[in-house]
Amino acid sequence: MKFLEHEAKSVFADHGIPVPRGFLIHTADELVGYMEQLPPEFVLKAQVDVGGRGKAGGILMANRQNGIATAKALFGKSIKGLAVEKILAEERLEIQHEYYASIAVDRSTKEALILFTVEGGVDIETLAKERPSAIRRASIPLLMTEIPPFMLRDLLGGAPREAGKVLQNLYTVFCRKDAILAEINPLVTTSSGIFAADAKLIVDDNALRRQGISHNRNLTDREREAESHGFSYVELDGNIGVIGNGAGLTMATLDLIDFFKGKAANFLDVGGGADQERVMHAVCLVAGVPTVKVIIVNLLGGITRCDEVARGIISAGISQEVIVRLAGTNEEEGRSLLREKGYRMLDSMEEAVRAAVEAVR
Amino acid sequence: MIYADKSAGIIVTGATGRQGAFHIALMNEYAKTIGGTGVVAGVTPGKGGQEVSGVPVYNSIREALADCDAEVSVIFVPAGAAGDSIMESASAGLSLAVTITEHIPVHDTMKAIAYAKLHDCAVIGPNCPGLLSPGEIKLGIMPSHLFSRGNIGVISRSGTLTYEIVDELTKAGLGQSTVVGIGGDPVIGQTFADALHRFEEDDQTKAVVIIGEVGGALEEEGARSTDLPIAAYIAGISAPPEKRMGHAGAIIEGGEGDARSKIDRLRNMEVPVACRPSEIPEIIKKIL
Repeated sequence: MKFLEHEAKSVFADHGIPVPRGFLIHTADELVGYMEQLPPEFVLKAQVDVGGRGKAGGILMANRQNGIATAKALFGKSIKGLAVEKILAEERLEIQHEYYASIAVDRSTKEALILFTVEGGVDIETLAKERPSAIRRASIPLLMTEIPPFMLRDLLGGAPREAGKVLQNLYTVFCRKDAILAEINPLVTTSSGIFAADAKLIVDDNALRRQGISHNRNLTDREREAESHGFSYVELDGNIGVIGNGAGLTMATLDLIDFFKGKAANFLDVGGGADQERVMHAVCLVAGVPTVKVIIVNLLGGITRCDEVARGIISAGISQEVIVRLAGTNEEEGRSLLREKGYRMLDSMEEAVRAAVEAVR
Repeated sequence: MIYADKSAGIIVTGATGRQGAFHIALMNEYAKTIGGTGVVAGVTPGKGGQEVSGVPVYNSIREALADCDAEVSVIFVPAGAAGDSIMESASAGLSLAVTITEHIPVHDTMKAIAYAKLHDCAVIGPNCPGLLSPGEIKLGIMPSHLFSRGNIGVISRSGTLTYEIVDELTKAGLGQSTVVGIGGDPVIGQTFADALHRFEEDDQTKAVVIIGEVGGALEEEGARSTDLPIAAYIAGISAPPEKRMGHAGAIIEGGEGDARSKIDRLRNMEVPVACRPSEIPEIIKKIL
């Protein structure tokens, strides 16, 4: 789950990383109470979860005279389709130099990858492509509780020592918060010290509970409902509903739909051991998407009981056609249950996908 | 056959849970039909002295090893304790920890894998169906009736998609040496390269199918590292960028790990890549 800037900054500040003085407001009028505590010149930053927020008009310069009006204008905006509900009003920094610092899970080394560059404030991905040598990197096994001094020296090069302290604290945040990414871009120096001018923190979805986060708010309502049933669910923009078991098989089903020139409406992986109730919920959930015209159920497995699956499909009782491909234990019983009710069943996933694509044509 | 043969004793951790108990029975049923050692002990802390599916349960792996010989563990414990179970396996001297559990926090996985490496314990998974070497050993949850013995190796990041392709292979008369599910998480123990390296040492295996997914570059890294004839299928070509398709592993990273560019890179290495799972047997017949 991605933290918003103000949340990430508050976590960073709690771990000793200096952040600019700032206040979170929910209405433009709230700014009045903070005006005295802010310097005459400040920045209003929309707290929306989109990339390229600045270019999209989500960050505005303001001062004591025009602050309220500017905040009102920003609250009325939508940034890349997202309404602005919260704004971070923050002191404006007189930047001397910008750096980039991040720590992320590196799947190839199975360690944390620390990146640092003295050329902050730029698009880091572009820099990585054009001049990879400008980015200093170090790989650290998570069994280490802190970044060893040699590694810090290698990372920093000629950067000030206080940047090393920030990196060390960022590593602590990364470890304590089960982060998959902790990033400061830019990390800036000013005459009064070093600050995280922006902050990004993404926490591992598998660790939300132990991090005391009760629900993942980066989800749509339907995605949240899917999650409550233990499904993996992603909404797409086609008209063929897809239910499968296992991410790979479900993805392969989507790919076959694409291959036969159809368009999938969603990805839904019911997970292992799909029983009657879970299958029913899955079918109802997908059928509830207004664009869905036909649903393909592709379930294969050793432990999936086909009779349970069949009962789940039947009890969902939806209006759209359901095309079924089913293989596993009690296969015959499941098939005869569905056949009695007139469902179309096909032996291979390729045939089932072709039938679904033809059904919406 | 790679990783383990029929003589290997198996310890199942998380033995008294629903999944653990169910799959101990299935693993031992398989071991019985082929004359393998099978599961010799179950482990669940606090449940020592019980019996599950005809197997004695111990409080710890060390306790179990005092009574019986085992080389590998199959881990079914819940996500929050699975990393611990991997480390316990390594610390007790087991050479292989097959981790079925899904949703393990990735930091736990990273720590456990680093720790296991210090003890020369190979980790398969997490979030995997385990492995099956037809006629030799079943470690995990793969449905054995779809498999047949032969000389094709299979390495996969998926579960059910693996069964789909194994089924196609079997129907085409192409038996398997070992089918290993390396797991769908972003961080996993054994990679395509590791498993391919083992297949190279295995006289039985003549060609290998790799079943990959969007995300990361493990498929290419594996293909680059081997001289064995390989065929590939990559799932997720229709996956939109930035969308998470179930596996945490299936997040597209900055155009690097998307299926299209992965397929292109494999084809540039002269690896034949199937557009559909059903094409795999034909490709294998050509490269054998």
